[in-house]
Amino acid sequence: MNLQLNDVQQQLQDSLARLLAREYDFGHRQQYVAAETGRSPEAWAQLAELGVTAAAIPEAHGGFGGDAVDHMVISEALGKCLSLEPYHGTVVMAATAIGLVGSEAQQARLLPRIGQGELQVAWAHGEAVAGRVTVCGGHGVDGWRLYGAKPCVLHGAGADYLLVTAQVADEGVQCFLVDARAQGVEFEGYRLIDGTPAADVKLDGAPAERLGTLTPALLLRVLDTGISAACAEMVGAMDAAYTLTVDYLKTRKQFGRLIGSNQALQHRAVDMLVALEQGRSMSVSLALALAGRNDLTGAGVPSHAAKVLVTRNARQVCQEAIQMHGGIGMTEEYAVGHYLRRVLVLDQLHGDMQYHMGCLEGRDSD
Amino acid sequence: MDLLYSEAHKAFRQEVRDFIDANLPDDMRQRLRAGGFASKADTELWQRALNKRGWGAPAWPKAFGGAGWNAAEQQIFADECAAAPAPPPHIFNITMLGPVIIHFGSDAQRDYFLPKLLNADIQVCQGFSEPGSGSDLASLKTAAVREGDEYVVNGQKIWTSQAHYSDWVFCLVRTDPNAVKKQAGISFLLIDLKTPGVTVRPIISIDGRHSLNEVFFDNVRVPVTNLVGEENKGWDYAKFLLGHERAYIAGIGRSKERVACARALLAKLEADGHPASTLAAYRGQIAMIEADLHALEVTQFRMHGGHADMKLSPMLKARGSEIFQAITDVICRMTAPASLRADTGSLTKSYLYSRAVSIFGGSTEVQKNILSATMLDLS
Repeated sequence: MNLQLNDVQQQLQDSLARLLAREYDFGHRQQYVAAETGRSPEAWAQLAELGVTAAAIPEAHGGFGGDAVDHMVISEALGKCLSLEPYHGTVVMAATAIGLVGSEAQQARLLPRIGQGELQVAWAHGEAVAGRVTVCGGHGVDGWRLYGAKPCVLHGAGADYLLVTAQVADEGVQCFLVDARAQGVEFEGYRLIDGTPAADVKLDGAPAERLGTLTPALLLRVLDTGISAACAEMVGAMDAAYTLTVDYLKTRKQFGRLIGSNQALQHRAVDMLVALEQGRSMSVSLALALAGRNDLTGAGVPSHAAKVLVTRNARQVCQEAIQMHGGIGMTEEYAVGHYLRRVLVLDQLHGDMQYHMGCLEGRDSD
Repeated sequence: MDLLYSEAHKAFRQEVRDFIDANLPDDMRQRLRAGGFASKADTELWQRALNKRGWGAPAWPKAFGGAGWNAAEQQIFADECAAAPAPPPHIFNITMLGPVIIHFGSDAQRDYFLPKLLNADIQVCQGFSEPGSGSDLASLKTAAVREGDEYVVNGQKIWTSQAHYSDWVFCLVRTDPNAVKKQAGISFLLIDLKTPGVTVRPIISIDGRHSLNEVFFDNVRVPVTNLVGEENKGWDYAKFLLGHERAYIAGIGRSKERVACARALLAKLEADGHPASTLAAYRGQIAMIEADLHALEVTQFRMHGGHADMKLSPMLKARGSEIFQAITDVICRMTAPASLRADTGSLTKSYLYSRAVSIFGGSTEVQKNILSATMLDLS
């Protein structure tokens, strides 16, 4: 049992925290929300320079060869600062899928550019009904074309490529790379409640490049990697909301004394800490299970349990954070409420809490 | 970063498992699985079997007859005992009193008590709580007044588990009523329960069973040689003693065993043809309790591995209690109404008993007070 990050990860965590504290404090972050792109290309470039985008890219493709633990470290840091950057879609989802399903040539063409932060590939898989893909792909004389729609693709409109899952006759769900500027691709861009740029994508005969063969097991692997990173991001959000709340308890006075001197609030703050640490443990366990270094989970990957537990705890922590701040917690201008907004969005990624609870109940054969 | 057991630890776990399989009587295993307490005879038999193997005291140094295991080995051993389920090494003899005598006792006390504690030739119980001193333990009033070579003890202890069949009680008593800090006037005294003036009365708990007692001291004369360590330093020894529950504080193994029990019951409900919706609800509840338990186990590893603050340990007690209560609750509902029978319904009794785990050993509220002061710096 070794619960320490390795030196590279520790360095990455430290320098990432410094960079984000400087470039991505809440004031800056709200400026990025207000910008047309809804994010900060400059901060993204600095993240790439730091090696964030390359951390989990295989060494053969110019990365640092990290795994789900690196995604965890990075996602947690990004969650703390309410990042608006396309790390999750491009680096966690697309790079993982390309690494698992792409041909050697596709990997060599795409992964180094993702690692350098030059290329954005949005992950377009989820549809209206969880677990069901209705977009379909057909092969004609001039190659593959896709038909259908993908709702709520994070960073869809700003991406260079989309990585789209589609039904293929006799082959089930397969994975395709689509040039975002190609004919037959239409975006309706909007912002989500947390400020994240997203888009509904219509595919009307959009030309597509097929990756290798996607199996249900590989798809599950990609989604589990995404769940792990989303959980870590929620842990980051919880951590920040908890920290703000404890600080507030030590500064806000009512009835002539600090509100943190009230046992009722102390115990609720402790409950937040417990929820945070339990969530962090689940996030660590899932990442290590994906990395193949977890004897406690054996061969299993506890992604359903992790998604439910971490989402449940994140809701609890963020809601309590607002309650304990009182009126100020309800305002747009104060940071604490934004963490709840972020958690609402993260809950929806790769199956929401209800979907995964259903899986645990054995209602879904996934 | 990893959560991998070393090959040595895997082999050790197997060795413990094999020993338990070869030595734990099946009827004892069945009774514990059905939610029963280990009896005095059970504890005696099992403690002697462990001692014979050299495993009677996992945390004691080998020089005193202990196994001399490190923290990881102790945890593996505790988890395997719980999984069987087998009784843990005698909690009061081995986990609590033994280390205090080893560290603070006299040579005579070590020579007399340690071998007997190890082999369960005597069984001891803990006399800490009093009617007016529960969470506020340091306010305890039971007085020990020195007269020549004896202390004269007067007062009352309560919630004294196993006092009705124990031989000795280790007590916190007030030796200096004038101490400025109430913690400073307390001593740690060993009292033979057969001494004249000691009366043990049963307390029947809400599970209908008898494990708790009141112990009254009426001019009980105790030789001063039964004082452990220095007079008025008892509070320090008590704190030291409570720090030795580490391998058990979260009750991970105990709750895991209950989760396994719940899964077996679920399979039975399924075979009996219960509605799919009922089964799904139970399956979901069990899965989430298991998830909470898994997270707690990882938290424990993170703490011991330097990834989380050791000051979180009150969380292990508080959350571990809630998880144990949740799984015993599910088991109780899964087995009702049969388990509601007062004569045979041990799983309902087990649920009722589980309500005590968030009260004894520092209530959940006390744990949260500690966390609030140490982790949040609020007080």
